[in-house]
Amino acid sequence: MRLLLTLLLTAASLTATTYYVTVTGLGGEPDYEQHFAMWAKDIDKALKSTPDSKIDTLVNATRDQVRTALDGIAKQAKPQDALVLMLIGHGSYDGYEYKINLPGPDLTASELATLLDRIPATRQLVVDMTSSSGGAIEFLRRANRVVITATKNGTEKNATVFARYWVEALDDPAADSDKNDVVSALEAFRFADKKTVAFYESQNRLATEHAVLEDTGKGDGVRAPSPENGEGLLAAQFPLLRLGATAAAAKDPAKVQLLAKKEDLEQQIDKLKYEKAAIPPDEYKKQIGALLLKLAQTQQEIDK
Amino acid sequence: MSRPDNWRAGNLARSRLSAGLSNLLLVALSITAALPAQTLDQAESLWKQHRYEESKAVFEALIKAHPRNAEYRVRFGRLFLERFNAPEASKLFNEALEIQPKRADAFLGMALVAADGFEAQASYFAHKALEADPHMLEAQELLARLALEDNNPAKAAEEAHKALEMSAQSTQAKAILATIDWLNDKPVTPWDTHDGAAYETAARIFVLNRRYEEGILLFRKAIAARPDLWSAHSQLGINLMRLGREDEARTELELCYENQYRDAATVNTLRLMDSYKNFTTYKTDRTVLRLHKKEAELLHPYFEAEMLRALNTYDKKYGFHLDKPVQVEVYPDHEDFAVRTMGMPGLGALGVTFGYVVAMDSPSGRPPGTFHWASTMWHELSHVYVLNMTNFRVPRWFTEGLAVHEETAVSPEWGDRLDPHVIMAIKDHKLLPVAELDRGFVRPEYPTQVVVSYFEAGRMCDYIDREWGWPKLLAMIHDFAGGASTPEAIEKELGIKPEEFDKRFMTALTAETKKTVDGFDKWRDQLKEVATEYKAHDYEDVIRDASGIRDTYPDYVEAGNVYQFLADGYLAKGDKKAAIAELDRYAKEGGRSPDTLKQLATLLEEAGNRKEAAEVLDRLNYIYPIDEDLHRRLGDLWLSLGNTAGAIREYQAVLAKAPTDPAASHFNLAKAYRTANRPDAAKDELLLSLEAAPGFRPAQKMLLELSK
Repeated sequence: MRLLLTLLLTAASLTATTYYVTVTGLGGEPDYEQHFAMWAKDIDKALKSTPDSKIDTLVNATRDQVRTALDGIAKQAKPQDALVLMLIGHGSYDGYEYKINLPGPDLTASELATLLDRIPATRQLVVDMTSSSGGAIEFLRRANRVVITATKNGTEKNATVFARYWVEALDDPAADSDKNDVVSALEAFRFADKKTVAFYESQNRLATEHAVLEDTGKGDGVRAPSPENGEGLLAAQFPLLRLGATAAAAKDPAKVQLLAKKEDLEQQIDKLKYEKAAIPPDEYKKQIGALLLKLAQTQQEIDK
Repeated sequence: MSRPDNWRAGNLARSRLSAGLSNLLLVALSITAALPAQTLDQAESLWKQHRYEESKAVFEALIKAHPRNAEYRVRFGRLFLERFNAPEASKLFNEALEIQPKRADAFLGMALVAADGFEAQASYFAHKALEADPHMLEAQELLARLALEDNNPAKAAEEAHKALEMSAQSTQAKAILATIDWLNDKPVTPWDTHDGAAYETAARIFVLNRRYEEGILLFRKAIAARPDLWSAHSQLGINLMRLGREDEARTELELCYENQYRDAATVNTLRLMDSYKNFTTYKTDRTVLRLHKKEAELLHPYFEAEMLRALNTYDKKYGFHLDKPVQVEVYPDHEDFAVRTMGMPGLGALGVTFGYVVAMDSPSGRPPGTFHWASTMWHELSHVYVLNMTNFRVPRWFTEGLAVHEETAVSPEWGDRLDPHVIMAIKDHKLLPVAELDRGFVRPEYPTQVVVSYFEAGRMCDYIDREWGWPKLLAMIHDFAGGASTPEAIEKELGIKPEEFDKRFMTALTAETKKTVDGFDKWRDQLKEVATEYKAHDYEDVIRDASGIRDTYPDYVEAGNVYQFLADGYLAKGDKKAAIAELDRYAKEGGRSPDTLKQLATLLEEAGNRKEAAEVLDRLNYIYPIDEDLHRRLGDLWLSLGNTAGAIREYQAVLAKAPTDPAASHFNLAKAYRTANRPDAAKDELLLSLEAAPGFRPAQKMLLELSK
């Protein structure tokens, strides 16, 4: 399953374009302005080497600038393309509507949803890292769209630090937890969330933000996406960033058999891991050790 | 016995009588309706019958009906004081004094509130009470107790005899005189009244003197004489808990709770004991280490190694071997730790020692860089030796001073720095003579006096060590064990009078601190200028001005220190070497900011000084080890430097707290095990790495190599 997923991720990124749009809003104070701009710059830098991508970074953007950028993508993008929208700044929520604070008129979540719905790219990821961003989920959720917000609802109104760690996820190889050279949206979410939690713990501060992820199109967002709560499947398949060439082997007909063997081993490993609790520890270790060794040998053959 | 568990639901405030306000109002209304003319006698009678809510209602009705009656307020205040609500009591005593400014019993109430909080004003208010009523026995008894709490037995005896002149039957005056005899190891005394409250007073004084075992025996005698003396039951429970005898402690505290004695100390101690199920205990022949489960695996190797290192060092240094293991409890929640120090004088802010038991904050309980846990541990373990060597007969200034001295004896970087409060105290001539220094710990006269007293005591021990040598400090420990007072020990071992010691010490301290003390005001003004220049990115000016003031006050390593300004200034100008030199100074002066120390390590690594970089990062293990990035970086450095044991420890630390990248973390540990010629352990880690990420190429490659 993992290999299949890897190939899907890779194939998708090789044949389609990913549109990245980063927007920073009003800081209100010089410190925030500086941080927002710096994070946007770091995201821009991290994405620069991503192949088949179009990157638009809007610092201190107005509502019209955001509209223009998204309308432009709506005209260019094809269904097989992907869109990644990242919002940094302060947000507000009045109990009915979420807004990201921009110079001039703010942008509401419902208008943003309308702009995104016009974009033909089927796979979409929206990462709203502002305060109160949880209030945007009900407007932004949709089938085939992953929505990540820095707060669990609209009432978490304090300035957030989630963006700082989301930026780190794009730069730190540790974010690629399954080491397949692709940082998926789910991996980046888990990485940034974990670091955010650790930040509040280390400061001995009550956490004022709780990031959530929604990718079923109908949920409220969850803290820990898992098969049990049905969240995270789409995010796991959404390649946010490619770290290296992973797909060369997939194109070599001479290695198709080896790839099939590898895929079979991967599936056996996944199955065994799923059954771990029911197997005596020594037996589990023996079985997983044998499978992992075979997998390593197979990979060695593929790499020759 | 049914196990009361209500304390879990409430916080400290809920244990106070004032909590049931709505019930109280109902009772008040019903009593008001039923009793058309309440009297003070009724209120007092209900109070005596432990019908506190009803008594309160009567008091409230009386005050409402007679708002200018000061006596009602004073008596109501005493009820609040007895029922654990000092703020409300204080308010009522103050109101009474507004009505009658020279009311003796109101002054006495204020004195009792201050005495409970170990405030210096206690004595002042007691004297005011006696001025207003020279025959007020309770005020005189309080003065005797306060003097003994201040470790001044001569004055305590004098005050107690004055109380006996007022009333030959004063049990509290006799209790003070009996306590003085018992403290001086005279078990038979003519002043023993065999009264429960008198034994309780004595017990509390023994506990203040850290003589917990004897305090416990006296609490037991108090209870034997008066089984319903719940305050003694509570203190017995708390002190048993302090010494690690938790079963009996719980029995006593639950008994209090069931009998409506629910002061903050009782309730919070029960809640703390409930939380022990969340702790893990590690034991060696010499140590018992209790760590919270959420950080036990991470902290265990560092804490246990440091405990053993300290014990081995102190064994030799003090020439004393502890006859049982020392228990160290580490609390990630400062509030849990605070329960351990409730009802004790002084700061107790970082750690506290009860015989063989040490309780301390965890590094995770404080913001990164604000707490040096290893320094605190060495400080507290020094107490374990000194207290046990003297059988708890040691003046507070000496044991604290020696413990502070030990912090910098381990490493010059560890001890606390000369802080602005201390500078001001030196400048304002607020340091106390050695013979009176205990007062600065027990009953501070200004808010920062405890901090200043720690510093002064530490420097006194440094001075003795420097001028007379360590054997004299050891000899003083033995003198105190034999019952010597501070003046006696000073005179015997140093050959000079305490007054001469004070003179010489102050001369030396003044010389050491002169540059900083004299230049402090100018330094402060110039530092502000440097900060402004820094904000404006005027790095030339920053470098010039910060260099000019750096050596005036080199100990200042807190936020906004000159070293950081200078380092950033040099970096802005591309001079990494100079930046490293400044940050190195910062580290050697005891700077503790993890970000700054990590910056230094990065610069050193970039300059090719990996060994020094590793040493800088290793410092952080003693300050804030709850940092995955620190352990990963240090592990990499140790591995590259051939310190495989160090690398293994650091990589294990990464894995101890659910790392962000488990596959890479297990792989790193596998590399270290492989280098240490432990292929089986390496293979186990590789499997764990590949279990998390089956396609992780470096791990696959090593697995194939190890499986050949």
